[in-house]
Amino acid sequence: MASRFWTQGGDSETEEEESDYEQEDNEVPVEDINKAAKSKYLQGSDTESDDEDGQKRVVKSVKDKRFEEMTATIDQMKNAMKINDWVSLQESFDKINKQLEKVMRVNESDRVPNVYIKALVMLEDFLNQALANKEAKKKMSSSNAKALNSMKQKLKKNNKQYEEMINKYRENPEVEEEEDGDDDDEDGEEEDSEFEEDPSKLGMESDAEEDEDKEAGEDDANETGPGWEKMMSKKDKLMDKQFKDPSQITWDTVNKKFKEIVAARGRKGTGRIELVEQLTFLTRVAKTPAQKLEILFSVVSAQFDVNPSLNTHMPINVWKKCVQNLLTILDILTQYANIVVDDMVEPDENETQKGTDYNGAIRIWGNLVAFLERIDVEFFKSLQVIDPHTREYIERLRDEPTLAVLSQNVQEYLERAGDNKGAAKVALKRVELIYYKPQEVYDAMRKLAEQNEGGEGETDGEPKAVEESRAPPSFVATPEIVPRKPTFPESSRTLMDILVSLIYRSGDERTKARAMLCDIYHHALLDEFSTSRDLLLMSHLQDSIQHMDISTQILFNRAMAQLGLSAVRVGLIAEGHSCLCELYSAGRVKELLAQGVSQSRFHEKTPEQERMERRRQMPYHMHINLELLEAVHLICAMLLEVPNMAANSHDAKRKVISKTFRRLLEVSERQTFTGPPENVRDHVMAATRALRQGDYQKAFDVINSLDIWRLLRNKDSVLEMLRAKIKEEALRTYLFTYSSSYDSLSLDQLAKMFDLSDKQTHSIVSKMMITEELHASWDQPTRCMVFHDVEHTRLQALAFHLTEKLTVLAESNERAQESRIGGGGLENLPLRRRDGHDYAAAAAASGGTARWQDLSFSQGRHGTGGGRTGYNAGGRTYSGQAGGFSRDRTGQSRGVGRTYQTGSAARASQMDGSTRMVSLNRGAYA
Amino acid sequence: MANYDLTPRIAPNLDRHLVFPLLEFLQERQLYPDQDILRAKLELLNQTNMVDYAMDIHRAFYHTEDVPQDMVDRRAEVVARLKALEEGASPLVSFLQNENAYQELRAEKQYNLQMLNERYQIGPEQIEALYQYAKFQFECGNYSGAADYLYLYRTLCTNSERSLSALWGKLAAEILMQNWDIALDELNRVKEIIDSKSFSSPLNQVQNRIWLMHWSLFIFFNHDNGRTQIIDLFNQDKYLNAIQTSAPHLLRYLATAFVVNKRRRPQFKDFIKVIQQEQYSYEDPITEFLACVYVKYDFDAAQQKMRECEEVILNDPFLGKRAEEGNFASVPLRDEFLENARLFIFETYCRIHQRIDMGVLAEKLNLNYEEAERWIVNLIRTSKLDAKIDSKTGTVLMEPNQPNVYEQLIDHTKALSGRTYKLVSQLLEHAQTQQAAR
Repeated sequence: MASRFWTQGGDSETEEEESDYEQEDNEVPVEDINKAAKSKYLQGSDTESDDEDGQKRVVKSVKDKRFEEMTATIDQMKNAMKINDWVSLQESFDKINKQLEKVMRVNESDRVPNVYIKALVMLEDFLNQALANKEAKKKMSSSNAKALNSMKQKLKKNNKQYEEMINKYRENPEVEEEEDGDDDDEDGEEEDSEFEEDPSKLGMESDAEEDEDKEAGEDDANETGPGWEKMMSKKDKLMDKQFKDPSQITWDTVNKKFKEIVAARGRKGTGRIELVEQLTFLTRVAKTPAQKLEILFSVVSAQFDVNPSLNTHMPINVWKKCVQNLLTILDILTQYANIVVDDMVEPDENETQKGTDYNGAIRIWGNLVAFLERIDVEFFKSLQVIDPHTREYIERLRDEPTLAVLSQNVQEYLERAGDNKGAAKVALKRVELIYYKPQEVYDAMRKLAEQNEGGEGETDGEPKAVEESRAPPSFVATPEIVPRKPTFPESSRTLMDILVSLIYRSGDERTKARAMLCDIYHHALLDEFSTSRDLLLMSHLQDSIQHMDISTQILFNRAMAQLGLSAVRVGLIAEGHSCLCELYSAGRVKELLAQGVSQSRFHEKTPEQERMERRRQMPYHMHINLELLEAVHLICAMLLEVPNMAANSHDAKRKVISKTFRRLLEVSERQTFTGPPENVRDHVMAATRALRQGDYQKAFDVINSLDIWRLLRNKDSVLEMLRAKIKEEALRTYLFTYSSSYDSLSLDQLAKMFDLSDKQTHSIVSKMMITEELHASWDQPTRCMVFHDVEHTRLQALAFHLTEKLTVLAESNERAQESRIGGGGLENLPLRRRDGHDYAAAAAASGGTARWQDLSFSQGRHGTGGGRTGYNAGGRTYSGQAGGFSRDRTGQSRGVGRTYQTGSAARASQMDGSTRMVSLNRGAYA
Repeated sequence: MANYDLTPRIAPNLDRHLVFPLLEFLQERQLYPDQDILRAKLELLNQTNMVDYAMDIHRAFYHTEDVPQDMVDRRAEVVARLKALEEGASPLVSFLQNENAYQELRAEKQYNLQMLNERYQIGPEQIEALYQYAKFQFECGNYSGAADYLYLYRTLCTNSERSLSALWGKLAAEILMQNWDIALDELNRVKEIIDSKSFSSPLNQVQNRIWLMHWSLFIFFNHDNGRTQIIDLFNQDKYLNAIQTSAPHLLRYLATAFVVNKRRRPQFKDFIKVIQQEQYSYEDPITEFLACVYVKYDFDAAQQKMRECEEVILNDPFLGKRAEEGNFASVPLRDEFLENARLFIFETYCRIHQRIDMGVLAEKLNLNYEEAERWIVNLIRTSKLDAKIDSKTGTVLMEPNQPNVYEQLIDHTKALSGRTYKLVSQLLEHAQTQQAAR
């Protein structure tokens, strides 16, 4: 509950509203009430301070506090007005402006609170009143008069910013009161307030919009539908007045009207839907195809403007109309090949005047690719928002072929026009429509598209006929040239191949990367693991994916997940695990695949982040089943980890394959009682327990009882494969665990025990012998394996530990020496280092090092003493005497590594002396 | 056995002329009907200028004496064109054939060009004509002429693109003339250029590498030192990548080279992994054999595959080359392969067994009992195998080779004291020089 307060601004504001109402009703006691409310609030927080709710309120009040401060200031202003104290009024005014800034910041909105506007209005009224009353003005003290004057100027300046809102407030204080301050609705409101004459409709509209915001799945389109119908007729009438007589319409009048309408676009007080209607009307009266095209482009952009918010989608019927418009655009473009669409150059003013008989190229401003992408985004958004379990969602999905046909046509057009880059972009959109569909779903879509042709013709024809009868027939008739029915090849793979190769040829980097990922995903979906793996490896996408945008990263994650699934389907457990383990390592699978918002316990997300995340979500029909994914991941981890744990039973921490799995296992082992498995995790854990004891049958039964397997197409073969793998791993686990208790073990018995063929058993065991996981060998004539006793005793094991540690010590010594002296020997020493002072100073600086060096020096002296015999003898063989041997080694290494002569006894003694001197020196310096 | 024939996969990567030896070989082996091969040859020849040869084949194919008119026409055309080209290139050719003049050329290309231009009026057109002439010679089947001219052309050519294609032409000509040593040099030259040149797209480079590897098969399986070099070339990362992406059938040759090679190489293990990885895209008995021995440890299957390998080797144009000694022909590579393969199996088999029945062993090695015994005794005598034969029970006993714990400990510590002494002496020297510097 508390978090809802935090994230949804609306709630706190409703409180505000209430108090506003009260203010309206009776001005005087407002202050008391406010104070009372405040004190009550404070009390409440005092008494409930240990209560969780109370704590949260303290947090919440940051925003409220600002508001309260503001209302308090307004109250002060009111008081000042009453006593006509302009000086304090001026102060309050400055204060409220400052507070306004704070409030806006806290709210993260660009909308000015109503309270403030109200205060402004009040102030203005009072000011006018004061100015009008000349007598009172004369009576004022000089400071007061001065304040009044400056206030007048300030207010004038300030109010200019909020002129619109003030006017609106004056016009219609009621509406303004009722509306929430929610930013998303702002534009909608303006639109609504246009049609004041129809308040009932207005209510309905704003209702609908609110629903859309909150529920995001309501059937708003149907609700708003009739509203639009009504408006349409009204607007049509308006337009008809201007174009009453079709014969008088010329290119100029149309152009003028068009410019007028376009100029009105985006201006405050222009209804968006109204705009669309006006423009649509104009398309019918357009004189030349070019003009019609130009107007159509505006219609489409206006239609995109209908939904101003990023979070909500375009109403579905508008979307459909928009698609129809785009198709018409394509019709015109195909019919008149000399019309060129371009968004780079500003076309001539009168370019569209050129009629059908004009031969040269006519340039029209527009960008088909951008339009198509926008259409696609809106479609995607609508699917995100609609509840997937409703009929509406399915209805919406049925529009997919429409989108497919549109993009197909656009692509064809662009290819004809030679815009390969654009065509590649559009092709990517098509790829993204089909890449996640297995062949069955693809077939279904194909069938739907074919059926649609019949059905759609009827449904489409009807409204068209109505339109036709109502409106005058359009001047430029456009026959339907481009196909209205998508053509799909038999298999989805063929289509993918065509599109993807087009993209690889001419797409830009991002388009190519995305297409590649879709390609990988689709291959994986069709069980072609090796192809998709090769594609992934050859494209080197895993290196560069970090630098790409988030939606591409999500696509990459999806492709990886699908790749893992396909690896397991073809029986490659280790590969499957390596594909999936990264997805599961952080426990944020949902977020990584964009299939739901994950709640993190550790850090709260800001509303902005949350909104962003929501915007990235995948529509439900594109989801990868998370349960299946988890099951596959855990089973892979189990198959790899269980024998691994058995092999390294003495030091479990040494080699961990799957950390996630280990953690889960620990948790499940900590439980006192283990109930029957409920979810995927429980199942896999139960199977793990069985497998660790070598009970393959039970392990398989538990896995088999998972009901997610029905989601797999080739369920039986996958389960059979799993069964075989479980048997194998059970055998391995068994051998790891119990080999120490056997002296020999017959092959037949092993084979019978795990229900494997002799050959398989032999192969598995041989593999273990070769890799030295198992210390045993076959005794061929008796068909049994003989175990060698190579387990170390405790003493031996400790001795090995010791040697390991010694090696580490020697290495660190060498490294320390290298960093001190330099690895290359004396030649590489910098001059400074030869300076005794410097060196000694450095040694003195770090006492520990100096002591260590002393130690090694004394050791060295011993060594030289012992080794001299061997050295003098000049023997370069590995003599048994340890000292001689090592001495020899050093001599040799010096001989090789450096160039000065070795092997003279004199030199050795000289060295001996020098050591002593050095250490003496060291003592003096230290 | 035709299903293991790689000719259809190799041929697209070869020059037209290089396919001929392959077809000849196939004809000899009788893998396909004669008619098919003749037709293939005819099609091949139609695109070249070897019209006379094409006529011969045509006669053999249709069993007639007449030759179609278009062939006759084409012959005339070819001859005419040859004349024209010869004329175009003649100033340069005559210059180059002139010993004295030829001496004037120096190592510096720019100088040469200028000199030719000034003194002999030989410009870029003539040089270009030389290239065309050489190319035409090659297409007519006159490889030695083509090789000479191409060599000369390369000394004068400034265009690197052209130079490379001239080099390819030279390589092909040398291969066809079976000058393996020269061909090997040319091969290395082409390789250097391919590796250093920046191609317009990586795909192009890969394609070039693939070509190079295909062409090199001729050289490597004929040159004495070829079997080592094929591993050196094919097993480089870049080339192995190219094989894996576009020409997995080349794995057969690499696998064979690995088996036949005496010295066991460190790369062998990695190669086994590659084979395992590429199983889905390419499989033939030779790679399967390696997989059986080193991945599945399935010795029965390995032995089965060994028999198939023999067939494959005999029918492969590169591997199945015959060595004629008097009237006795043998395929040296087959014998070597089988011997090594046997050793592979035996070695792995011994590693996991402590007692093996001789009879079983003989069967696994594709030998009879006596032979097997002799073979094993030989191995023991040359101390390749640490084992004993128990003739009473008819078994081979492996000596256990578990390292002693104490030995292991000593091994671990042996190096330590040496390292410490080295450390100390370094320190001493350092101190000494300090002393001296003071």
